[in-house]
Order: sequence, then C-alpha cells, then structure tokens
Amino acid sequence: MLLGGGYVILPLLQSELVEKKKWINSDELCEYYALAQSIPGIIAANTSIFVGYKLKKQLGAIAAILGIITPAFLSIIVLASLLREIVQYNFIQSIFWGVGIGVIILLFLAVKEMWAKSITDRFTCVVFLAAFILSANFKISPAIIIVLAIISGIIYKEKYEKNILRGEDDLS
Amino acid sequence: MIYLSLFLQFFHIGLFSFGGGYATLPFLYHIAETLKWYTVEQLSDMIAVSSITPGPVGVNVATFAGFVTSGVLGALIATSAIVLPSYIFVVVISKFLEVYRTNKKVQAAIYALKPAGCGLLAAVGVEMFAQRANFTGCVLLLGLFIVSLKQKRDPLFYLGVSAVFGLIVGVLGLLNA
Repeated sequence: MLLGGGYVILPLLQSELVEKKKWINSDELCEYYALAQSIPGIIAANTSIFVGYKLKKQLGAIAAILGIITPAFLSIIVLASLLREIVQYNFIQSIFWGVGIGVIILLFLAVKEMWAKSITDRFTCVVFLAAFILSANFKISPAIIIVLAIISGIIYKEKYEKNILRGEDDLS
Repeated sequence: MIYLSLFLQFFHIGLFSFGGGYATLPFLYHIAETLKWYTVEQLSDMIAVSSITPGPVGVNVATFAGFVTSGVLGALIATSAIVLPSYIFVVVISKFLEVYRTNKKVQAAIYALKPAGCGLLAAVGVEMFAQRANFTGCVLLLGLFIVSLKQKRDPLFYLGVSAVFGLIVGVLGLLNA
C-alpha cells in the first residue's frame, strides 16, 4: 500500500524489504530503482517486479505484479462505483470543479520533478519543446513522439561523439 | 471487440510511457480525444481519485479508465495490459543486465526519452488548464501555485483545498464567473 505514486516508493521499499524482511540490500534496491526508471511503464511497478524477479524469478515477478495491482484495483473499483452514484448531486459537481483545478497543480508538480531529472542541456531542452509543441498542436499520438525522441537521441549522441573524436584529432 | 482494443491501447501505454505514473496521462488524454471512451473531465476526476488512493498513480488511473470504458472486466484488462510490458522488460533485462547498462544506444535513447515524456505531460497540463480556467479557477490555481513554491505538500493537501474551495464557490454560485 502506498500513497502518492512512484517517487515515494523508495523509502517505503527501503524500510520494508531491506530493513525488515532483509530480502535484498540497500545497493541492490537503488540499482533496481534506477533501472526501473530506464524502462517504460510505472516506476513503482517496475521496481517491485525487479525485486520479485531477483528473489523468485518468473513466479516472484508475477507475485510482485499481483501484490501491486490488487490493492489499487479493489480500491479504485469501489471508489469508481461510488462516484458514479453520487455524481449527480450539485455539490459534488462543485467539489469536482475545484478538484479539476487541483489536478492541474499536480500535473505542474509532476512536470517540475521530471524536468529536474531530464533537462540537463540544450539538446534535452529542444526535445522537451518539440514534444510539447507536437502534442499540443497537432494531436499526434504520444507513442510516435516517443519513437521520434528515441531516434533523435541516438543520432544526436552518435554525431556528438564523432565531434569529440574529431576535436581530439585537431589537438594532436 | 472493445476488450481487445482496450488491451492493445493499455499495452502500448505500458510500452511507451517513460517517467513514472504521470507519464501515462498523455496517452490517456489522447484516448479521450480520439477514441472518446471517456471525456477529458472524467479523466481529470480519475487523476484526482487516483492520486489520493493507495497504490501507484499509474496503476490506479489505468484501472479507473478501464472501469469507466467497460466495467470490472475492462478494469482488469487495462491494469494487466499496462504492466505486461514492464514484466517483459524486467525479465529480459535481468538476463542481459551488463549489456543493457553499458550499451550506448540504450543510454542515448533514455537521454532523449525523459525530456520527451516531460514535454508530453506539460502539454496535457496546459490543455487541461485551457479547458477549465475562468476567473475563479485562476484565483484558486494561483493560490495553490504560490503554496507549492513555498513548501512541498502531498496531493491530498492540494486536492482537499481545491475541493473545499469548489464547494464554497458552488454555494456562492460563482462557478462560472
């Protein structure tokens, strides 16, 4: 059970898996967490699946998935059904009007956090702007933008490294 | 066959979203705009509920979107489909850990992926703002923004304040001001 998404999972896993159960050590956890951010998908789920797979291979990974899905699944089903019942009341609609504004702040904070981890130089800034403009104006599928980003990253790094090599040649 | 397309949609979200639970939102927004399985307002409600429910936001919001689209079975399919790519990636990468960590192409891809995921989410934020913002909304947003700069607080705080503000504004009849 965790509240608040992927970024709060690390301290929680640290206290549960490393300190109480001693299933993995602290270094391993940090490594899995870093790896979890480098593959697609939900970071909390990725980290748990890594830990599950390390402990008991396929079976452990599946157990980890079930463990992370089930509480979310049950609570959301209950809340979603409840919401459907009460949504016709006027005051509930006022509440959700306010909450809709609150969600924008949550998105802003998430963007801020991702920005701090990803925008490190001019190239990453250009990628950010390109992704923003493409998805805001042209309604292109996000998957296509992600694929374009992968391609541009690989091409840019290759050129960048060639330039560095050439630079060293000039010096010598 | 709604269940098959539900599976394919959420599988591809699991495969292409980088940067955590909120990174799935641009994809869910795209579904609202193109397939119209739910509205953007419904998506906003889902994000709110998912942020204050136990469990990772990404899993919660996928479950919710699946449920709204086609009931409990839909929720089950959406949730399983969104974590399936994670499972495949973990199993494959664990076998080739060293190769994966040192591969230059992988590093280059990740280097460009993260800002792209961030840009996609920023676009969702701006569009949601454009749809909602009237005078009263901007007042609330500005207030929350100032608070967020001063101190880090959890989602429950922001949504709680917004809910109370909405309720008061609703009673005063200023929602559309």
